[in-house]
Amino acid sequence: MDKSQFNTLGKVTPRKDGVARVTGQETYTVDTILPRMLHGRTVCSPFAHARIKSIDTRLAEAMGAVVLTFQDIPRRRYNERIITVEWALHKDHYVLADKVRRMGEAVAAVAAETEELAEKAARAVVVEYEPLPVVLDPIEAMQPGAEPLYDTVVYGDQEIQIEKNIACAREVNEGDVDKAFAETDVFVEGTFDVHKIYHAQMEPKSVVCRPEPDGGITVWATTQSIHNTRIVLGQIFDIPLSKVNVKRMSVGGTFGSSIQMNSVVPIGVALALKARRPVKLTLTREEDMHDHGRFGTHAHLKLGAKKDGTLTGIELELVADIGAHILQGYSFLGVSIGWIVSLYRLPNVRYKGTCVYTNKAPGCAMQGFGNPQATFAMESLMDELAEKLGMDPVELRLKNYVRLGMTFWGQGPMVRSLIRSDGVPDLLEKGKELIGWDRRQPPGLKSGRFRRGIGLGRGFHTSSAGAPQPGDVIDYSGALVKINQDGSVDVVSALVDHGGGTLEGMAKLVAETLCVPLDMVSVVPTDTGNALYDVCTHASRGTYAGGGAAVRVAKQVRQEICETAARYLNVQPEAIEMKVDQELGQAVIYVPSIPDKQMTLKQLASRCWSESWKTIASMDSYRPVACPPAYVTVFLEVEVDTWTGAVRTLHAALGADCGTVVNPDGAVGQLEGGLSRGMGMALYEDIDWDERGQLRSKGYLVDAKTPGIMESPHLEGLSIHFADTNEPTGPHGAKGMGEAALNPVPAAYANAIYNAIGIRFYQLPITSEKLLAALVERETMLKERLR
Amino acid sequence: MGEALAQLSEHAPQGNPLAGGTNLVVEMRVGRHQGKSMVDLGRLKELRGIQAQNGHIVIGGGTTVSELLKHPLIADHAVPLCQSAAVFANPLIRNRATVAGNLVDASPAADLAPPLLALGAEVELVSREHTRWVSLDEFMVGVRKTLIQPDELMRSIRWSKPPKRSAGAFYKVGLRKADAISVLSAAVMVACDTSGRCKLARIALGALAPRPLRAYEAEDVLQGQPLQAEGIAEAARLAAEAARPISDIRGTAEYRKRVTEVIVRRLLVQASEALEHP
Repeated sequence: MDKSQFNTLGKVTPRKDGVARVTGQETYTVDTILPRMLHGRTVCSPFAHARIKSIDTRLAEAMGAVVLTFQDIPRRRYNERIITVEWALHKDHYVLADKVRRMGEAVAAVAAETEELAEKAARAVVVEYEPLPVVLDPIEAMQPGAEPLYDTVVYGDQEIQIEKNIACAREVNEGDVDKAFAETDVFVEGTFDVHKIYHAQMEPKSVVCRPEPDGGITVWATTQSIHNTRIVLGQIFDIPLSKVNVKRMSVGGTFGSSIQMNSVVPIGVALALKARRPVKLTLTREEDMHDHGRFGTHAHLKLGAKKDGTLTGIELELVADIGAHILQGYSFLGVSIGWIVSLYRLPNVRYKGTCVYTNKAPGCAMQGFGNPQATFAMESLMDELAEKLGMDPVELRLKNYVRLGMTFWGQGPMVRSLIRSDGVPDLLEKGKELIGWDRRQPPGLKSGRFRRGIGLGRGFHTSSAGAPQPGDVIDYSGALVKINQDGSVDVVSALVDHGGGTLEGMAKLVAETLCVPLDMVSVVPTDTGNALYDVCTHASRGTYAGGGAAVRVAKQVRQEICETAARYLNVQPEAIEMKVDQELGQAVIYVPSIPDKQMTLKQLASRCWSESWKTIASMDSYRPVACPPAYVTVFLEVEVDTWTGAVRTLHAALGADCGTVVNPDGAVGQLEGGLSRGMGMALYEDIDWDERGQLRSKGYLVDAKTPGIMESPHLEGLSIHFADTNEPTGPHGAKGMGEAALNPVPAAYANAIYNAIGIRFYQLPITSEKLLAALVERETMLKERLR
Repeated sequence: MGEALAQLSEHAPQGNPLAGGTNLVVEMRVGRHQGKSMVDLGRLKELRGIQAQNGHIVIGGGTTVSELLKHPLIADHAVPLCQSAAVFANPLIRNRATVAGNLVDASPAADLAPPLLALGAEVELVSREHTRWVSLDEFMVGVRKTLIQPDELMRSIRWSKPPKRSAGAFYKVGLRKADAISVLSAAVMVACDTSGRCKLARIALGALAPRPLRAYEAEDVLQGQPLQAEGIAEAARLAAEAARPISDIRGTAEYRKRVTEVIVRRLLVQASEALEHP
């Protein structure tokens, strides 16, 4: 593919929604105001685990509020996210809690004329609780005698018993680990802990619901999937999907926090149905922090290798802290091993994963869905292995990584496809050069107060969950493309832009395919009523799968343009070509050998219109047949202050192989953002709960400690490069990007810190305090030894 | 102003002055201050402003943190205060939060308290009946406890212009570098005579005790001595000893104490270097 021929792809262009977003003119869900709209508030539990003995609504109702309790909601358990097939789906959720399982869970809700009255009414609802022992540690939760969160949940269409708080478990065995380990020369192993982290997305979750006279509902909601929200609402409230219309909204960032139907959505709907008036319901930041978080993981890995560095096999035992509800535990267990075996060739695998309920915020996918946790563990062990073998860490990785032509199953054992593009050697070489890898010294040679270290983390993320055959995860998209009378183009897609510029990328891909100036392509507002099904904007699939659908349909439209123009120009359609004329601001349809046989797309479309013929348009679904890995390597140089434990990032060399770079500014932004969030995960963010199940931060964002611009390396210390690859299955050669940008970052920090001070950390975050304590402990040990 | 004092006096002890609201409004949202009457001081011009008067710098209690950052008198005569204002919360909060509000709120982690303690500041409390000046060190009693009476307002804060050969500095350890609550903070102010001997030393600590405090013993070892590495190290050690921190979400007591020593030493070195190379 000759990328220099691109008109739009790879060019820096102003974001279509940029002005609206930075000037405050963009309307988000919370900005939606409807006539006769009421304001909702939830009544949140002050306990993390409790039975609800009684709810007295009389005072609140006397204030004129509509009050919703468990008595009013459909008795139907559901999963907020239906993207796994029925046999892999657990359902444990009601619209309002039957029993409180996390701090701040909604036990009732009110709607009133003003926000103030709603707040007063919510406080006036009297709830009598019977507090239960709070279960916080997933390992303790599995011990005999631990307080159970659930008796039963629904699995498929059956009610199943929950024992020892285990929501689900999964085993994967490949090859023969015992035999492989018997022939292994070197082992490394470790137990790695990563806490739940809060998404800290800018927009708090909100919903507006309007009940319609025909019994239907119209819903404005913060979500990454309008179709998932519609399907779940249809199931809960038993309304035909044709009467459930969910609008696509602008979203103020998610990092994955809205991949499911948000917990506020059905509450807002139930309030609106009861009040028979529109209702808006928005979570406060404090409520939001109890609502969702990353999956906490506790993992033991044992990795074997031959003397020459060839990996022989792995043993992995994983416990995932899923919190109070299950969203995607079964998939999580599948991908957790998938990430590891797709990082490095491991012919022999013994894996057991277990999802455990605790009284904490429900685990929800967050940038990487288990991948940063897995990569942190694996890349730490690879460095340890390299040291044991006396090999260069880069060489060890090059020897073992899963590469071109190999099978990739990052999305779990049922989603396997072939790797067709691979920029890893290029990324590693370039990264080495940019960071100055050759000046890297072992930690033993360092002394003094400030010690510098260079570390590497490499990783990837899948683009979508596509594969040649259906797996346990649903993954396909759809698009509608139509040509307007002036030659401009409307694209209808259920894709959601949750911060990564997905819709911008889609517009560029369509503009490229149709040779239309970017300014003439709009991804128009839509809803579930007129957009084809799209599973969700998640799994770094927006550009690859959603964009793939748009390109497939745009190619059909291009074919129709050629066939239609062929009749007007009186030539064979196969003779027609298209090019963009930026001066005219039009796509031009022409026949290379005959200069007068040409017309603009506007001329074609307006003729079709004035002659009452047709709209040139097409609509189709698209299932990607692969989920190619987008590779990212992160080289870091850090400086550790051994007096305070503070870690400063001096240099970061970030390299990405995302196939064709659709939007250079956006891609750079993803890598910089990934570095920042990864840094937070590695060094700062520690969402922790006290013994009552209350967040220690009490829900104040100031103590959630996501890093800011002050923590970033200086601009001159930041270098970014892209591998020049082409993904044959991707739209114009593109792959995903968003999650890959973060996945290797925590590992790179752990490895750079090790290189600086010679201490390896197995638990994140590596706060200044933990680092200083480890240094002091080592000092004390050395002194004692000398004595 | 008269009206505000009358309101406070009338509603005492249920009246509560409200300036920027960056603490009070957050607390009200979680149900504190129920049944109290808020007296809004937000538009009282008499409470704003920064001036030089009779050898003092005087600032109105309602001066916002942003205003501190912009004023040349603060930059010239209150370096630690200026440095503290620069890392105070975030720009949105700085535009609303006031100096008096930060002091009256009396959080152990109030970021403006250590620099003002290091400057030797006094605060002016006024009611309908009287006016009194109290040193800031006496004013702060404990966690959320001060000498202010229900009918009083903090009208202004003042300190003597630092002498010629003087220097000061502030540093805050947060869990990140901006928009963070202090894990600990420290401010120092030193002055020397022509022979280079220290004639004034003030060391103040934040988030290291129930109230921001002065490390008097640490200050004493510097008095009358040239500012050199040994004395500075000893002062830093004593300052860490004076700290009585607790363990909480932002750090353990042990970590706080250890880092206090590093920070106080760093600030004293900075200040002594500033004296040598003005």
